[in-house]
Amino acid sequence: MRHLLIVPFFIGMAVAQDQPAPAPAAPPTDQSATPAAASSTPDQTAAPAADSVISGSIELGYRFVSGPYGNQDVYRSTVNLGQGPRLVSFDFTVKPVKKLFDHFELQANSWGGDPYNSARLDVDKTGLYRLTADYRNTAYFNFLPSFADPTISSGILLTQSSFDTHIRTSDVQLDLLPGRWISPYLAWSRDSWFGGGTTIFVQSRNNYPVANSVSDSTDNFRGGVQVSLPKVHVVLEQGGTTFRDDQGVTGNGLNTGDLTSPYLGQQLNLTSLDELYRVRGDSLYTKVLIAANPLTWLNVSGQFLYADPSLTTHYNAAATGTLFLPETFAFYNSGTDLITADANMPHSSGSFTAEARPLKKLRIVEYWNTDRLHNAASSLLTEQYISTGSPFLGSDAATDRLVLNYNEQQIEIFYDLLPHLTVRGGERYEWGDATVRPSDLSGLAMESGTLSRNTGLAGASFRFREKVRASADFEASSGGEEYFRTSLHNYWKLRTRAQWDFLPAWRLAGNFFELHNENPDPLVNLNFVSRATTASLSWLPNSGRNVSVLLEYTRSNVNSNILYLDPGTLGTALSAYLENGNSATALIDLAPRAMHGFAPRVSFGGSLFTSAGSRPTEYYQPMARLSIPLAKGVQWNSEWRWYSLSESIYAFENFRSNQVLVSLRYTR
Amino acid sequence: MHLSRKCFQFAAAVLLGTAAVSAQEAAPAAAAPHNVGSDACAACHDAITTPFAKNPHHALETDKRRGHAGFACESCHGPGSKHADSLAAIDIVNPGKLNADEQNKLCLSCHRNEMTHIGRIAGGHASDGGPGCVGCHSIHGTDHRPMVVHAIADQNKLCASCHPSIWAEFQKPYKHRLAEGAMSCVGCHNPHGSGTETQRVAFANEPACVNCHGAMRGPFTFEHAPVRQEGCLACHVPHGSANPKMLTRHEVRFVCLECHANLPAAQATQGQLGGVPPSFHDMRSPRYQNCTVCHVKVHGSYVDHTFLR
Repeated sequence: MRHLLIVPFFIGMAVAQDQPAPAPAAPPTDQSATPAAASSTPDQTAAPAADSVISGSIELGYRFVSGPYGNQDVYRSTVNLGQGPRLVSFDFTVKPVKKLFDHFELQANSWGGDPYNSARLDVDKTGLYRLTADYRNTAYFNFLPSFADPTISSGILLTQSSFDTHIRTSDVQLDLLPGRWISPYLAWSRDSWFGGGTTIFVQSRNNYPVANSVSDSTDNFRGGVQVSLPKVHVVLEQGGTTFRDDQGVTGNGLNTGDLTSPYLGQQLNLTSLDELYRVRGDSLYTKVLIAANPLTWLNVSGQFLYADPSLTTHYNAAATGTLFLPETFAFYNSGTDLITADANMPHSSGSFTAEARPLKKLRIVEYWNTDRLHNAASSLLTEQYISTGSPFLGSDAATDRLVLNYNEQQIEIFYDLLPHLTVRGGERYEWGDATVRPSDLSGLAMESGTLSRNTGLAGASFRFREKVRASADFEASSGGEEYFRTSLHNYWKLRTRAQWDFLPAWRLAGNFFELHNENPDPLVNLNFVSRATTASLSWLPNSGRNVSVLLEYTRSNVNSNILYLDPGTLGTALSAYLENGNSATALIDLAPRAMHGFAPRVSFGGSLFTSAGSRPTEYYQPMARLSIPLAKGVQWNSEWRWYSLSESIYAFENFRSNQVLVSLRYTR
Repeated sequence: MHLSRKCFQFAAAVLLGTAAVSAQEAAPAAAAPHNVGSDACAACHDAITTPFAKNPHHALETDKRRGHAGFACESCHGPGSKHADSLAAIDIVNPGKLNADEQNKLCLSCHRNEMTHIGRIAGGHASDGGPGCVGCHSIHGTDHRPMVVHAIADQNKLCASCHPSIWAEFQKPYKHRLAEGAMSCVGCHNPHGSGTETQRVAFANEPACVNCHGAMRGPFTFEHAPVRQEGCLACHVPHGSANPKMLTRHEVRFVCLECHANLPAAQATQGQLGGVPPSFHDMRSPRYQNCTVCHVKVHGSYVDHTFLR
């Protein structure tokens, strides 16, 4: 794939050589632009595109990594940047070619060994077609030694749930006749997960860490048509999904598992294991969206979707060793399990929105949503265990069911109280029911629950001459019925935002969020608080062309207390979680005016996160970057980054690493 | 001295303003502004109109069926005759200086029902108090079809400029890789809104998470009910966390036991779903403190109702 990306660029470059000397291209997008810069007023004086057949940039470099020192597995699980040559970024645009396309753009980032590769293609011809393709390859590595186990010295539960995998996603969409009153489209999407890792083979009384290979993929094909009439817009879509999962678990050699002491006088062990999953699934779905303006003061829209996914599973496992079978209360040396299973899950959902403006200052929005899901499944297990005595043969047929009905109705009324002030209020009611499989201890076939929650809504937004903008959203519920002990019960939630452009190019902003949730049931006694306060300051003189400064600070707090039952004693225990966090980000970008053709650019800053409480953590990511133009269209970049994770309780997870990326960027 | 000069300037401005208002009242009603055509605009604003020829909105200029042929500029900026005469900025509508609601009203007069690449314009940012369409979209200066930044890193910066507290969550050690440019905010969220939720949905109204984590899509033979009832957020913090696997708690057993702490009941009324595990789960032993080490298929299993395989 990476070679395919590079080839068209050089072909394009070769073609470009035959053309008249092009005018210099516009400067490349500044990768270090601050968020505030990105949101500033759109550039209304953009220069015309360069006349060259092909324009764009390519950046090649080499990353030097010192270390990582400390726990390399945690480093790979969180940062995962390695040393070596890199295609840092690559993008080019091709001049319109008559009859083929008006716009051709290809972008690629972080290729050549980095854990996150992406590419994007965008081609179109106005009024005829638009083709977009997106590809991402993300390393998905997880080898966290503790995995929430602070007692590292007590057990060997260190690497029993880990994986070194990749997730690849691709999306391709072709829109025909875009912008016309009728526009068909076709699309294909794929995601896949593959790689290796470690998992557990659980056998009665013991667990054995074994090698695991992951391999699954989902393909989605869909096509539809958009119909745009003056007052009605309709989308009809028919789609289908295919899914496969071919996971395998293998183990060879003596494996004594987690149980280090003999069980009933014998040392349990596993000598070989082959466990294979072959899962195949498909789904067809139909989607209809409609939006209309039947009256000048009324907009309505709705959506209906029906899907019917199903899966078939073939599973077999063959294990040898000294293993224990509770059904016969005897040891065995060889066993096989064969399971076939089927599941299907009809899923229908519909929503309707009406927005009415009966008066100039009044707006009423009504929203209704329903979602119904019904999973029915069955499985048949055939097992055979062989020991020194007679073989044990068994079979077990099981069925399972999950029924969910969810409904939501919400009404909100907006009123322009003052020219600069809009207030709103409303109400949301959610209700539903669920039928689920209960715990084994209950002895029940099924368990049911109900949902019933009334929530009050309020809010206000204020803006004044584009210099001051503020908004507040509040919702609260006094409790009803919900499915889980941790669900929202008696809660209130407040979110406020404000920003003030107090001087030209200066902006001060603040955000606040707080959620309180309580459940006074004496067996639950939930008390949950989550709070975050953010202040940010930005200075972008001259739209940040020469200097930009962005400073942000967030103070966050999560405090949760809830009772639970200790499974061993059924006594009440307290689960307490506390996190007091501080997060800061700074990015300062300096690009002094060119002197004698020398125009370096310096950026520095980074981020830090520190927290105290249940998992005290310090995570630092400072950076500095220097860009120096060497010649026309050629720029030398160097970037230094430092990663450091430090945890006081889980100190064995700590790591630190210095990194320098040196690259050359060529732009034309 | 300085103060008195300012006072004088202020007084003069008030007097002039009053005079101007009086003059307007006295003068006969001026002729209603009318369209002058895009060529007239180009005479002064060629830096805008030249690249605008590659802009999707340029279709307004050429397509007679859209009702603005020949005066695409004035389809958003309003009739320009007064501005053309006076050359004063105050005599023309500048959508970039309108408040968000007025901006949206202007854009949505054509785009209200439109499908976007990731959804339909149905609220969210386009509702009251949002940033306004031009807060994200560049109307003149790009030929990118959606007229918004394409690069993933640039998209994330755009979102972070208004959502700094969310961006701060991505600075935690265990997070989705947005800061690294591997993912984009719009991969999971629909900025144009979809009903009351901000989360983007996958093809068949599944949570956006399964777009990448397809193995969690199901249907499973044995479902873990909370995954369907409350979604991934029941156990995970999607943006970033100090806890491994982006869990809501620092130890995985608390994530599980906070729900699995009910004595069996036939009819759940107030948070009663989730029965207590069997008693051999001795929480004093590290063997039982990492629930998902044994219950490896906690998101749902194809073959085992206890999620052991």
